Amino acid sequence: MDLHRIGIVGAGTMGQGIAEELAGKGYDVLLADKTPAILEESKQGIELILDRKMEKWAITEAEKRVALGRITLSTQLMDLGDVEFVIETITEELDAKKELFRTLDQICQKGVIFASNTSTLSITEMGAVTYRSDRTIGLHFLNPVSKGVVEIIRGLKTSELTFKTAREFVESIGKTGVEVFESPGFITTRLIMPLLNESMYALMEGVASAEGIDTAMRLGYELSRGPLEMADRMGLDSVLVAMERLFRDFGDLKFRPCPLLRKLVRANHLGVKTGQGFFKYDEAGNKLPEEKIAQTV
Amino acid sequence: MKIFVLNCGSSSIKYQLFDMKKETVLARGRVERIGMDTAVLSHRTTGKEEVKQVASILEHTAAIKKVLAVLTDPKAGAIQSVDEITAVGHRVVSGGEHFSESVLITDEVKTVIKQCFDLAPLHNPPNLMGINAIESILPEVPQVAVFDTAFHSSMPPCAFLYAIPYILYKRYRIRRYGFHGTSHKYVTTRAAQLMKRPVEDLKIISCHLGNGASITAVKGGKSVDTTMGFTPVEGLMMGTRSGDLDPGALLYVMSKESLGVGEANAMLNKHSGLIGVSGISGDMREIEEEMAAGNQRARDAFDMFVYRIRKYIGAYAAAMGGVDAVVFTAGVGENSPAVREQVCRTLECLGIEFDDEKNKNSEKEKEISKPSSKVRVFVIPTNEELVIARDTMEVAARVTESRRERR
Repeated sequence: MDLHRIGIVGAGTMGQGIAEELAGKGYDVLLADKTPAILEESKQGIELILDRKMEKWAITEAEKRVALGRITLSTQLMDLGDVEFVIETITEELDAKKELFRTLDQICQKGVIFASNTSTLSITEMGAVTYRSDRTIGLHFLNPVSKGVVEIIRGLKTSELTFKTAREFVESIGKTGVEVFESPGFITTRLIMPLLNESMYALMEGVASAEGIDTAMRLGYELSRGPLEMADRMGLDSVLVAMERLFRDFGDLKFRPCPLLRKLVRANHLGVKTGQGFFKYDEAGNKLPEEKIAQTV
Repeated sequence: MKIFVLNCGSSSIKYQLFDMKKETVLARGRVERIGMDTAVLSHRTTGKEEVKQVASILEHTAAIKKVLAVLTDPKAGAIQSVDEITAVGHRVVSGGEHFSESVLITDEVKTVIKQCFDLAPLHNPPNLMGINAIESILPEVPQVAVFDTAFHSSMPPCAFLYAIPYILYKRYRIRRYGFHGTSHKYVTTRAAQLMKRPVEDLKIISCHLGNGASITAVKGGKSVDTTMGFTPVEGLMMGTRSGDLDPGALLYVMSKESLGVGEANAMLNKHSGLIGVSGISGDMREIEEEMAAGNQRARDAFDMFVYRIRKYIGAYAAAMGGVDAVVFTAGVGENSPAVREQVCRTLECLGIEFDDEKNKNSEKEKEISKPSSKVRVFVIPTNEELVIARDTMEVAARVTESRRERR
């Protein structure tokens, strides 16, 4: 199946990243969200991603213009009537996603596959509210979207053809797809969250400084960033939501959110997006040189 | 005998239809923006008005169907029916180490073209798409693949091996392959004709200076060395490519700027060369204009471009133990008197006596050295399509012959 026109609903960080990536690979993208203001912000976000790539010589000015030209913005879900594949990247709430899929089920053509970018929610439940549970699937792009892997999640009713099409689509944009059978947190979220959480415990217990923990893990296991900085970049509020969901779904104590995480979220120290989490960051998201943040928390 | 020549890119197709009796072009054209709703087909049958069509053409098979439709159109077309096409010739960029000449396309050949995707990731996949498209539309017509790499298959190991662990050659076939082979072959053959001497007796240095640029040392009609290597990045400075570079410098930049492989690749291929140094353009015409206006970086870029060419001419003269002719071809080589002049000026030591007047006149194909010059210098417009058509006719004729014998 040859896809050309992809609809993305939800123009937040992930929506922007996926739109940019797809446009760069030659797809026409319709990016939809609720208000013109959000879309305006997402347009700037996409330009920023492209500018960063230009600074690193990854693309040229002309390629940037071509990519931008392939992305259309809309506040009308009705505009998704002619897309061939839908990816939703709206807020990580099951009811909202169900509602969206129910609406899109009426708008989109029959054969169109619905993919959710959820990192923890049930694809089966989302598909159940549509007449296309066999054509509902999970495509979990990681943050930032430029990473090379996408988890492809089969819901209980996802058909073989849907899975195959989704895998081909993922490969067509130069990423590796990993097949996952529906389970809370899939692979990546389930495995990374306890690591982040445990690093916070280690910090809280005074085992080492934040810088020390990150340095040891970064160099010791060839990570490009340490776990605490990783948490800062994901957003500590998002980390907390994910931990709570894993804790609830598995009922296992190993997923209990670290009290220090709760404390930082309550203080609105959410990481890169508020300029402070376990470390401090400038406007562009660069980590500021070592500070005595560990003691201040 | 009518031969249809195709050059398929990722989003464009260029084609020519030849009548091989007198090697005349019956029609030529191109399809651009394939994959979009506003693809453009422009076609001109020799002696008729140009035709332009805008339509939704989503893939190569549809594009080729459109081309064949316009070719057989009673008004705009050149032939009555597609049955008149004797054979189809395809430009294929990389044949790796497998082909030393043009071949009839079979399933095995297609498999090899596929295996070479890694060596020419931008070109081989669409080349194969074109082959498959013709196969589905004209299943009875023989197809011939003409490889850019084939002409260079005569290079000796000392020229094609890199001085890195030999196991890497064994494991990944990392070696110099060279590109633009069809063009180098055409202009050197043509130069020999102009010199009225057999190409077997000649040592020719062929400079293909286009957006991509390479120089080939051709001894006795065979390529013995060429500047492009494993990829088209090596060798001369180009419009947007770096050409030769200390690999150590690349590693240093990658680590300092934390560049990934994709970024480093784009930096060398799209952000370097004339545009990278001048910051103005990758187009030599704009560089020359800016240079005339006194822009120092444009001058630096121009000087570097010319210097590299001179360096390689010297190197190849030494490699071949002499040189009888130097040929300039392709966009810059055919159209920039300034580049040719700066390259050839003060090369009397090599036996080149340059003729400024002839260099500047408006003839397309010409000799630009003085009659007394020991080494003759030519400008020869390249014609890769004609080489492809000739090879295709030859291979196809052999096939038809053997088929007839079998009957």
